Amino acid sequence: MAAAAAAGGNSGGGKTYSFKVVLLGEGCVGKTSLVLRYCENKFNDKHITTLQASFLTKKLNITGKRVNLAIWDTAGQERFHALGPIYYRDSNGAILVYDITDEDSFQKVKNWVKELRKMLGNEICLCIVGNKIDLDKDRHVSVEEAESYAESVGAKHYHTSAKLNKGIEELFLDLCKRMMETAQAEERMKGNGSSQAASSRRGVQIVDDEPQATPAGGCCSSG
Amino acid sequence: MSQRTERRGIHVDQSDLLCKKGCGYYGNAAWQGLCSKCWREEYQRVRQKQIQDDWALAEKLQREEEAAYASSHGVQTQSHSQASTPQQQPGHASLGPFSKFEEKKTNEKTRKVTTVKKFFSPSSRTASKKEAQEGRTPSPSISRHASFESDQVSKDFVDFLKNLQKPGRDIHKQCRAFIVTMSGKKELSAEELSECVQDFYQNMADRLMSHFKGSSESVEQVMDQVEKYIMTRLYKSVFCPETTDDEKKDLATQNRIRALHWVTIQMLCVSMDEEIPEVSENVVKAITDVIEMDSKRVPRDKLACITRCSKHIFSAIRITKNEPASADDFLPALIYIVLKANPPRIQSNIQYITRFCNPSRLMTGEDGYYFTNLCCAVAFIEKLDAQSLNLSTEEFERYMSGQASPRYSSSEGDWPSSGSGPATATNPVLAQLNHNLELLSGLSDRQETLMEAAQSLQADLLSWPETVQREVHNILEKYPLEIVPCTVSAIDANNMDNENLPPPLTPQVFAG
Repeated sequence: MAAAAAAGGNSGGGKTYSFKVVLLGEGCVGKTSLVLRYCENKFNDKHITTLQASFLTKKLNITGKRVNLAIWDTAGQERFHALGPIYYRDSNGAILVYDITDEDSFQKVKNWVKELRKMLGNEICLCIVGNKIDLDKDRHVSVEEAESYAESVGAKHYHTSAKLNKGIEELFLDLCKRMMETAQAEERMKGNGSSQAASSRRGVQIVDDEPQATPAGGCCSSG
Repeated sequence: MSQRTERRGIHVDQSDLLCKKGCGYYGNAAWQGLCSKCWREEYQRVRQKQIQDDWALAEKLQREEEAAYASSHGVQTQSHSQASTPQQQPGHASLGPFSKFEEKKTNEKTRKVTTVKKFFSPSSRTASKKEAQEGRTPSPSISRHASFESDQVSKDFVDFLKNLQKPGRDIHKQCRAFIVTMSGKKELSAEELSECVQDFYQNMADRLMSHFKGSSESVEQVMDQVEKYIMTRLYKSVFCPETTDDEKKDLATQNRIRALHWVTIQMLCVSMDEEIPEVSENVVKAITDVIEMDSKRVPRDKLACITRCSKHIFSAIRITKNEPASADDFLPALIYIVLKANPPRIQSNIQYITRFCNPSRLMTGEDGYYFTNLCCAVAFIEKLDAQSLNLSTEEFERYMSGQASPRYSSSEGDWPSSGSGPATATNPVLAQLNHNLELLSGLSDRQETLMEAAQSLQADLLSWPETVQREVHNILEKYPLEIVPCTVSAIDANNMDNENLPPPLTPQVFAG
């Protein structure tokens, strides 16, 4: 959430950003492989040390600024689709993964984009990721279609292969930079003319924002 | 936003906090503004009964029980004295009989509370709240009923703050003041209470941040302690408050989970194989942890229970699948655990954590992730229908109404169950039982072979002397012992010269 950036926003020079990124996409598109490749640099490896691959963190240093990235995996099965809002609320970024050999998974991504834009507006940085480019010969989603769609919804498009370790570093680095820009722009906006107290309370204000407060409060009764 | 009002709440004049007797210690609203010591003296004078002045922690619980018993008498004497001296409440003098009636009601409540307070914390809160509002002196057992745990926490908190010296005192003052303010705000809704607490966290964090010059680690450390202290103190009044329908939701969820008892691990597609002993062990531990959550008071401790539960689930999945668990595996497993555990007051606990946990922990950390998953699991269970279990609507209805049980019907079809009984696949206890039976039958087999071997050995042993005898006999027959008769001859028979010897020397011959 954006508040995290504020919570880490020390008065000292070394600023630390904390970002929450959700991984969305159908089951079997390789969400887990993607994130395991990024955080552990391993693929389908028997020597993976982590007990789980559903919550992973990564510390980065981008142009002298510290960034703590928390990557939240989500259950991709169709029957858990309705639970999405509980996962992605307060997130700074979303990575929407589809399988380039599976047309359906791309349709799911489109649904997610619509939902995210409706619920979170433009606050959230979207990345659309076509995974498994090592299987390019079985491609069912055309590059042009995917890229033009991404552009039309204000998202960035990436091609990756967790197996070959292609495009993953770039994806996360780009996303971090964009999230930092968003956070900085937000800070500038809030910082203009308002007191110290107001800016430090910014995070809480965002959390208690009306449209978000409703799903937050009733997350377990209605969501 | 509500920052201003909240500020006003926090800045209580210090003189208001001190004991009204001017002994220099801090007073407490629950003790009519006296400090604990002065209040005790005051109360003893009224009651004319000794309460042991003993601070040893070991005796505290026992004393509490005594006080609980005594209060049922004590309050009565007190109400007598109040009735006989109406000038104490001049405004209500005309309402004599009615207030008496009120008193009686509260007396009864008090008595109930002191005896069963451990089981019905919300109702105990109401009683004490009522008394506080009516400006009446609560009996010591009521004011002290937060008791052992909060005392311990207060002690720990003070010990912790001692290391911080001056800011420590400031923090302590702030927290005490905040708790006093909160005790005066009992009429607020849960959301407003939550906002108060969250604002307090935020202000405290800001203060600490400027004090520690931006070392977020030490801020976090102090904030953890602050949260622990405040929430242990406020727990009774803000957990599952009556202004919300948390309790109703708790019951609804509990009944819902009970009605879903028939859901099997296969329907949820959980990748845990409970027939592996380590897996079922982890499952049991996970269930225990999620149930234990209800017994914790501090939001952070509750979160820790959820995290422990999740870790056990991950271990179980790791053992089954031999690869790290993704969210695709984890969420169904967590749902299964929640269904199995039916954790007490789950909705209240979730709401409590959402409202009163320090947000920096809840939103980004690992704990936050697991908590979110728990919320998802509960939400899923509430909305669970035939489709989400890949069942037909009719099947779902039949299972829900108890007309059919999936365990038996599916044992015929889905699992040929390899001759080990229909329930083995579903029930870990039965699986264990079957396993043990197998072991036992194996053992008895081995014992039988052992017995046979022993018998044959015995037979062998018995026949052995016979064979030996027979052999000896045979040998004896084959080679009979012939004793060659020995011809007895005189020793000197061959001495021819004997005859020539003179008679005294002639050897005498004896027959053999």
